[in-house]
Amino acid sequence: MLVTVAQAVVNGLLIGGIYALVSIGVTLIFGVVKIVNFAQGEFVMIGMYISFFLATGLGIDPLLSLVVSMPALFFLGVLLQHFLIRRVLALGDMPQIFLTFALSLLLMNATLLLFTANYRTVQTPYTEAALHLGALYLGVAKLIAFAVAMALSGVLWVFLHATDLGKAMRAAAQDRDVAMLMGVNPDRVFAVAVGVALALAGAAGSLLMPFYPAYPLVGQVFVLMAFVAVVLGTLGNVTGALIASLMMGVAESLGIQFVGADSGLIVVFLMLLLTLAFRPSGLFGGWTR
Amino acid sequence: MDPVTRRRSGRGGLWLALLAAAALALPLVVSNRFAIDVFIRVLLFAFIGVAWNLMGGYAKQLSLGHAAYFGLGAYTSTILLIRFGVSPWIGIVAGGVVAMAASLPIGALCFRLRGPYFAIATIATAQVLMLVFLKLRDLAWGAEGTTLPNLGNAPLMMQFDGKAPYYYIALALLAIGLAVTYGIERSWMGYYLIAVGEDEDAAEAIGVNALRVKRQIYLISAFLTALAGTFYVQYIYFIDPNTAFSFNVSVEAALVSIVGGIGTLWGPVVGTVLLEASSALLQSWLGGGHGGVQLTVYSLILIAVILWRPTGLIGVLASAYARVVPAGRAQAGEAPRDG
Amino acid sequence: MRALSLPAERKPAKRPAMAEALVVRNLSKRFGGLRAVRDLSFSVDEGETVALIGPNGAGKTTSFNLITGYHRCDAGSVVAFGRELVGLRPYDICAHGLARTFQVARPFGKMTVLANVMTGALLRDKTLALAREKAREAISFVGLSAREHVPARDLTTIDQRRLEMARALATAPRLLLLDEVMAGLNPAEIDQAVALVGRLSERGLTIVIVEHVMRAIMAVARRLVVLDHGQKIAEGSPAEIVANEEVIRAYLGTGYAPAASPGGARC
Repeated sequence: MLVTVAQAVVNGLLIGGIYALVSIGVTLIFGVVKIVNFAQGEFVMIGMYISFFLATGLGIDPLLSLVVSMPALFFLGVLLQHFLIRRVLALGDMPQIFLTFALSLLLMNATLLLFTANYRTVQTPYTEAALHLGALYLGVAKLIAFAVAMALSGVLWVFLHATDLGKAMRAAAQDRDVAMLMGVNPDRVFAVAVGVALALAGAAGSLLMPFYPAYPLVGQVFVLMAFVAVVLGTLGNVTGALIASLMMGVAESLGIQFVGADSGLIVVFLMLLLTLAFRPSGLFGGWTR
Repeated sequence: MDPVTRRRSGRGGLWLALLAAAALALPLVVSNRFAIDVFIRVLLFAFIGVAWNLMGGYAKQLSLGHAAYFGLGAYTSTILLIRFGVSPWIGIVAGGVVAMAASLPIGALCFRLRGPYFAIATIATAQVLMLVFLKLRDLAWGAEGTTLPNLGNAPLMMQFDGKAPYYYIALALLAIGLAVTYGIERSWMGYYLIAVGEDEDAAEAIGVNALRVKRQIYLISAFLTALAGTFYVQYIYFIDPNTAFSFNVSVEAALVSIVGGIGTLWGPVVGTVLLEASSALLQSWLGGGHGGVQLTVYSLILIAVILWRPTGLIGVLASAYARVVPAGRAQAGEAPRDG
Repeated sequence: MRALSLPAERKPAKRPAMAEALVVRNLSKRFGGLRAVRDLSFSVDEGETVALIGPNGAGKTTSFNLITGYHRCDAGSVVAFGRELVGLRPYDICAHGLARTFQVARPFGKMTVLANVMTGALLRDKTLALAREKAREAISFVGLSAREHVPARDLTTIDQRRLEMARALATAPRLLLLDEVMAGLNPAEIDQAVALVGRLSERGLTIVIVEHVMRAIMAVARRLVVLDHGQKIAEGSPAEIVANEEVIRAYLGTGYAPAASPGGARC
């Protein structure tokens, strides 16, 4: 019994790492640019397809393709910020929500058109491999994904706290006007924020490929998790998003183990609703009315 | 928005009468079944858009989960019909009531959030309902859904041979929706709605109970949306959770208003005509079997509108009209409405 | 029957002259580690005009926000016209007779001037025709009649401030809280605004005004309450306050305390 629970917790943590990459991206964009990126899941999807085509076309292992997917998505993020997001920043909630939402629809459906709804998978030497830790079974692919996810999160943390650009981003997140007065160029900071967030999403995609299928709608599952984690971890709080993502991974896993195979989503929604009902500002929320 | 200067000029009333006459006469003139089907879809989705617009356009509560009420309406009337033999004419109202009841706890939860997080919460509630109905095997046929028993031509049970009756019902629904919107726009509720939509805090400072306003408009919006759900099931003789609580319904409800003109009376109608027309054209041009074309086009249109004309295309139409037809009266007071 | 949005002339004999319109007691609020308002107490008599002054960050706007229900206070009480306001929502407080303007005007941009003010007037009576009349009165009082049908977002900043005041007045308040309405006005405009406030006061309205423009304060306020770092440091007539050492220190720093302390300026 204990082993079952432990196994579920471990599984949950491992997938939680992926959720973390996605949710950190969402919370980063929200914190710095102050808009919600409804399309974040679709960038995970794009990362997956990039890795898929590199794997099937050029035989490159998905993990190695990180080197391609991350920069590619960073660049895409900069473009996104420059051509689309920048135009709606002054317009208010509604256009901002619907812009990223429309983008999400567009990416999903364009992918559907171009690549059909077929599931795409990649087999690697370690797809089926597992480590045995006592009675626990740790999928190697998932373990690597978790490790890389944590590493990337760590790098991001260092970037935000130790580099000038990172500090500028945090400053802009706290108070854009004052940051501007201090010489921070908002366009540049926003572009980097969006670029980094999308790069993380792309990384998540590449890391997922060894053990998860790619298909046009795959982003939807992850973005939902991400949003709940962002709310739970308090909007704009990167560490909060990380912790909340791990929590959600575990909760989902326990739900699947003890309630039923499709109860994962219900668990997620319950967590969202509970958070909204009792602690709308999230676990780490400070500001009250 | 100020009704004093917005007295309908004689010209406006004439256009409306012409439009109504054309709409009423249409089934008599058009016999192509595919065409009538398109028109029915246009009327239905315009109606859903109008219902959404009350909440999302005027009060700026951007719900992306209106499918919840669509589905509740559809399931209520269907359950009443199949399990209890109740006529859908009663069922449609019952569905509306159920939706209203549901909007209260959903609103209580979701209104704690603003902006995008409200939207996410509404998406979640529609999804939850879908999941719930996927499980409800005994009461509601679970994942497979059910077809409606074909009673032939049974007007009392909302079933008809031929498409014309369905067309008229859809037209009536749209007319109801527009009438409700028009009435609210011109009442004190209209002012309060827009105030809440523009600046909730400032509205509260002048005595507007924002939460109560949102709750009230949500009730109305949910009720109307549920009516559409019942109609749809009666029209296609089929229901299942994926159709009833379809995210596409939620999206289109919002989409047509945004593209057409958020917070305006005719905006959703304009938006629906544009989107459904382009969709129908695409379908006849490309044939079937191209999943994703419709939404790809919709999303491109949406992005274009947001970047170029965020208040919707109705403003473009209005100024085009004004340029072509020199207006008799200066309509200064109308400006705010059309953005 | 005359439908007035502004309070009618008060007949002095009807009310005891020293009735208190607003009593603030031990009001406190902290935001995280910052104590924005500390143990603030002051009162305002009916018909008085009191000015709340102090250097930037002293907690003046926060006090307004606490009084009108925008923030929940950590401690203290606010009693207005005999009723405890702490815990009430802003709209209930408005219904009870307190109206406020915001430092940065917040008009309903989509609506015309008339529609904006009507929304305020609708608080007391949901009849549109009546609300329109009351709104028009308030609009003419602030001098915006010529721009009745202009969408609020197309107004100049100053006109938006006028609109803000008209909208607040349309709710038929007994106490008006004005947050820096004179900021950025040129001397002629200040005089106009001062005259407006004067007329409101003549009609019996109780007014609490947050202001930096000394000239305006001297002209309208009978009493000043001075805040610094969230606390009240002085209270009194304009003449008394201007000579008050602590006040001078708060605004200008210790180097400027008159006579007694010959130390150098701090920085």
